[in-house]
Amino acid sequence: MEPLLKLTNVTWRHKVRDFSSWKPWAKKDGAGIYHVDLEINPGTILGLVGPNGAGKTTLIRSICGLYACEGFDKSENYRRRFVGYMPEQVRWEGRLSVKDAISSIAEMRSSYVDVDKLIDTVGLSSRSDDILDNLSQGMRQRMSLACALMGSPEIIVMDEPLNGLDPLAQRAFTNLMRQLSSKGIAIVISSHQVSDLEALADKIALLHHGQVLIDGTLEHIRGKLRLDSNSDIVEMICAVTGIQPDEISLDIARDSIMPLRKPGGEEE
Amino acid sequence: MSASNLGLLILKERISATRMMVIWPLLAIFILFSSWGLSDPKANLPADIVVDSAYDVMFTSTAFIIFSATLGAVLISFDGISRDRISGVLEVKLSQPMKRSTYARALVLGHWGAIFVPVTILNIMSLIVIWYRMGELPTIEEVFIHTLGTALLLLWYTTIQLLSSSLAKDMGSSIAIGIGAWMLFTLLWLIITTVVAGLSGIGVENLDSPEYVRIEGIMDLFSPNGVYHHLLEMPLDDIDRGISPLAIATSAIAWSLIPLQLFIMRIERLKP
Repeated sequence: MEPLLKLTNVTWRHKVRDFSSWKPWAKKDGAGIYHVDLEINPGTILGLVGPNGAGKTTLIRSICGLYACEGFDKSENYRRRFVGYMPEQVRWEGRLSVKDAISSIAEMRSSYVDVDKLIDTVGLSSRSDDILDNLSQGMRQRMSLACALMGSPEIIVMDEPLNGLDPLAQRAFTNLMRQLSSKGIAIVISSHQVSDLEALADKIALLHHGQVLIDGTLEHIRGKLRLDSNSDIVEMICAVTGIQPDEISLDIARDSIMPLRKPGGEEE
Repeated sequence: MSASNLGLLILKERISATRMMVIWPLLAIFILFSSWGLSDPKANLPADIVVDSAYDVMFTSTAFIIFSATLGAVLISFDGISRDRISGVLEVKLSQPMKRSTYARALVLGHWGAIFVPVTILNIMSLIVIWYRMGELPTIEEVFIHTLGTALLLLWYTTIQLLSSSLAKDMGSSIAIGIGAWMLFTLLWLIITTVVAGLSGIGVENLDSPEYVRIEGIMDLFSPNGVYHHLLEMPLDDIDRGISPLAIATSAIAWSLIPLQLFIMRIERLKP
């Protein structure tokens, strides 16, 4: 199967303030993603799993063309056109109506967007004239989903879309994702809980410290790491890094826990 | 996927914002009431200001436009980028295929329109006030220069505010940069001019001296408010500060293009 998007050695580091320099504008390389290799195939749901700060959002933003980094087989413009992006918990606000807000985003696309149909798809047709300030968080998530579905995307990327949703809305989202993938649309979804993706994702990529530690189906990962079917993300990370679950402390976020590779390949 | 269509949608959103409930009365009080007061034939103005024609009223009332309309531009634009950035909407917008330079132009157009439309409506109403009080109207040429100057002044402030907003990562910084820039050009420029004059060896005890008037004219080329006044002084025969129309036009073009280009460059490199 020809992948819709192929990532080879994708690396991106955020620039952060360098407090060791006397120059107030001095910046240094901060956290990011390192040497990520992934394939996004049509009709599959790929789950990006990792703890906080693993690089899930950075990877997602790179896929969407928000960061100019190399290693993709499709250009940034192509990705912005054919990848639908749903960021984490967007707070839509203001006195614009739902319809006008979606129309203003649709205006940023080159192709015609049927806004009414889109609003209907995400179940906001009864609220299309409501102002954004009056929407609940669940409704706001639907707004973001509507924006991700604009322009018939080949890939939809969602950053922790289930956060802040009640179980009913979570199920509705899950059902919609399955429907979309059955139409051949690839879906990339991030979460810090394996359980969120257990019944949904066809493939999982486990991220930690900006690196893809392992990827494949859940059975494949668990089999390779010799974990049982109830194992979660903590056990997976421990199995890959060799840390004992009992040794885990808040230090897990420290860079020294595992070696990081620089873009050149040498260890940091 | 054009800047004008998106700009109109931004204008619609900004002009219906709650803050317009503050901006409209503020503008109405400053623009309409100043026209009403200044067009009073019995008005006795300070500092030997003479108002004996319709355009004199319009020219003198621009002091109030500078104060209120530019503040309105700040209030409309100070969170033009930072609000979307904080709420996460900017991520959605920047991930769309529209060229970032087009998006930047749409932002400028929408925010500028949201302050220019009310100011122009009130300026038209002030013409009616002047006609009612003085029985005369300014010429078409005078109205054109006044409208063009006001449009440019608001464009400069809007662009500077949007640029500031794109630099700020929180609402507090955004407000601080916005109000700081407004205060610099509206209130502090006179002090800067006086300091520069003093350092240049020009006596500042007599602000009507030809040397001071000339250096004030030169310094005004570096301030949006100053260039605005230079533009409005063009039809007035009795005011000559020794600045050539070419220098004024160059300054106006520079104020229009440089902040806009900086803003476009900033949006092109912006990370959500």
